[in-house]
Amino acid sequence: MLQVPMTDQSAQQSSISTDSAAAQNNSSSTELKEVRKVDGDDEDKELHELLMPDVRNLPLAPPSAVESNFVAYFAPDFMKPGHDQYVYRHPNGLCVVGLAPTHVAFRDEGGVMGVDFNVGKSDRSAIKVTGKRKKNAQHFESNTMLCKVCTKSDSYVVRCCVKGSLLEVNERLIKQPDLLNSSADREGYIAIIMPKPADWLKVKATLLGLEEYKRLKEQC
Amino acid sequence: MADEAAADSLLDVERQEAALASDGDADLQAFREAVHSLPSDAVKDLMSAWVCSRCIFRLFGLTEPCSCPCLSPSVFTERLMPENLVGSLIDGGSSESEHSTSLPEPVVCSVCLGILQFYHNNDVQLLVSKDGMNDLAASIAELVKQEGHQTDSFSLEVSIPSITLDNERVIMSYMSRKYGSQLYSQERSFSECICLKNALKSLIKAPLETLLGVKYGQGPLHIRLTYSESSKTIEKSVEHKFGATSKRRKKGNENGLETVDGLMNSGIGCIATGVGHSVVTDTPVNGLQHHQSSDFSKLLLEKVRRPCSLSFHCNRDPIYFGGRYLKYSRNVSQTCWMIDEDRMGEASVEEIISSCILLMCRGDKYKFHAAGREDMDVRMLGSGRPFLVEIQNPRHVPSDVLVKDIEHKINSSREKLVRVKNLKLVGSQGWTLMREGEAEKQKQYAALVWISRPLEDPDLLSISSVRDMCILQRTPIRVLHRRSPLDREKIIHWMKIERIGGTSQYFILHLCTQAGTYIKEFVHGDLGRTHPSVGSMLGCRAEILQLDVTDVKMDVF
Repeated sequence: MLQVPMTDQSAQQSSISTDSAAAQNNSSSTELKEVRKVDGDDEDKELHELLMPDVRNLPLAPPSAVESNFVAYFAPDFMKPGHDQYVYRHPNGLCVVGLAPTHVAFRDEGGVMGVDFNVGKSDRSAIKVTGKRKKNAQHFESNTMLCKVCTKSDSYVVRCCVKGSLLEVNERLIKQPDLLNSSADREGYIAIIMPKPADWLKVKATLLGLEEYKRLKEQC
Repeated sequence: MADEAAADSLLDVERQEAALASDGDADLQAFREAVHSLPSDAVKDLMSAWVCSRCIFRLFGLTEPCSCPCLSPSVFTERLMPENLVGSLIDGGSSESEHSTSLPEPVVCSVCLGILQFYHNNDVQLLVSKDGMNDLAASIAELVKQEGHQTDSFSLEVSIPSITLDNERVIMSYMSRKYGSQLYSQERSFSECICLKNALKSLIKAPLETLLGVKYGQGPLHIRLTYSESSKTIEKSVEHKFGATSKRRKKGNENGLETVDGLMNSGIGCIATGVGHSVVTDTPVNGLQHHQSSDFSKLLLEKVRRPCSLSFHCNRDPIYFGGRYLKYSRNVSQTCWMIDEDRMGEASVEEIISSCILLMCRGDKYKFHAAGREDMDVRMLGSGRPFLVEIQNPRHVPSDVLVKDIEHKINSSREKLVRVKNLKLVGSQGWTLMREGEAEKQKQYAALVWISRPLEDPDLLSISSVRDMCILQRTPIRVLHRRSPLDREKIIHWMKIERIGGTSQYFILHLCTQAGTYIKEFVHGDLGRTHPSVGSMLGCRAEILQLDVTDVKMDVF
């Protein structure tokens, strides 16, 4: 995946190497590596050579941690129109659930103002899951309420989308609801759910992949 | 001259033979004295119960005659039982004589089941030889030689079927009851009975020492002899003779009759079978005691005792190798990693290093331990990571030179995936050494980091000014499925940014952290579950592309 190499002139000098005067923008990066002299003995030199990447191979913007580690699925209009949610599934089976960028809540003026996990029969932020076997985790259905998201004008229910054990909710949202506005797909995630393999297969059939979801929403 | 020389040498030979004979005579003399010292009626009784001579001696606590190699039951019988009783009781006893050439079916001891007589089955045939003890020693020595073991000492471990202990107990109890008072008056008792295992060991020890050329001791070579009962069924005649229900010993007393004690009182039962399972009979105790001795012998006459099966193995204590390894590949796991029969990655550090060592030591199995681990896509560079390889049952303990050879062999492999440093033999303390420094150890990394905006000079300062910064890491999502959900406090000791020429958004982040810190999550923040993170510190998004371990700070290997 060779991309257009960076030719940014600004950052040139290494703060560690002592002598890089000969290293100029125009040289290829292999020459850069060879010319660079490093203090210390051979081992350090060997180590340094191993560490330095070939700049020509570096992509302009690499895939994000979420992109590389999860497979993204979408549940558009989950139980109600406009309630678009995402399910990021990790190869280890865990699912991170949150609001998709096309969720109606984001259309309200000011965006999300508050998040309340005290819904249904219990306060979801109060559960304490312990141990490798995830004791005390509550088993929820895909339509079980996770939290309520409030904007200036309205409030919206967020649901599990995936049947499984609730391992964790993002209680940071209580004090920092703005995370949903700035990065709903990362720090603004809602919860982490652990479905049983059979349950996952059932729900997977109802979800959309990234491409399908994009196409669907472009039409709207 | 030649004649004289010949005559001289002939004399020498004669002298040697005479010396041998007199040695033998001396042994024989001692033997006869020992035999005489025993109460003859007790001995007669034991012999009539098919107890072998070695067992008789050890029951009385006599060590010397027991270990006498030239033990001959015929001598025994000569001394004690001149009457015709000898012939009728000891059926085939003459076959045990050293002078007979044919070897008919032997008489198997009812206590040791032929163990001290060196009769045993090897599932194909009954092995009987005139010189059972030395033959056994020779077979064992042959095995050790075949395996190619190197050692300076060996130990013996013996496993015997529990029924021999039962037999012993029953007969001792019988003898105590019958001859107890008599022995007491002679100031003897059965309390010094030598246990069967020790008797066997003391017999086989000397010939093995001679054949193997090393001393008997605690190891490291362990020779294990396992005797087990031949599984044959119980003779019908017993059941017939002694009535209805036979029960397995220790299985409870449905008819409220026989307990093991009851058995002992009756003097019957365990001894007589010596095969498969022992029989509990429900003949009333009184009635039996009445007919005790005669029924005893009759019963025994009808019995056939089968010798045990013997298997022997030798095993050497494990040896340990310590060293440090480097991993240059991002497609090699530390330990062999299989998912549903598919291998993950192209190789494993464990296999590359251990299989080479195992081969050179000609061992059976290896166990690989390392001080911590790294992900498959993370390289292990710099000083390397300490590891320990345990080789089980090594036939060959390598010299220092050979150990260097092994290291060289691993390092000059074509693929250059793994490298080994400082490989050496370590004692069993290597394990504790590794475990000791683990919790305190610091680790140093180099990460290739990308941020969502250009790097600026203030950034370098804010990163390099970090000293022992505390971070809180929630169990990373990528391991949350198999680890407890916990908040872990970790320390970042220091950090340093190294710019990369030709790019403003990529840099190398060097950092030194407390053991157990998740570096990848510290860089990208794991959806905000690790805080602070590199991204949060620089106020932008940060992603990690590559990670390398550059130092495992441990004072071992």
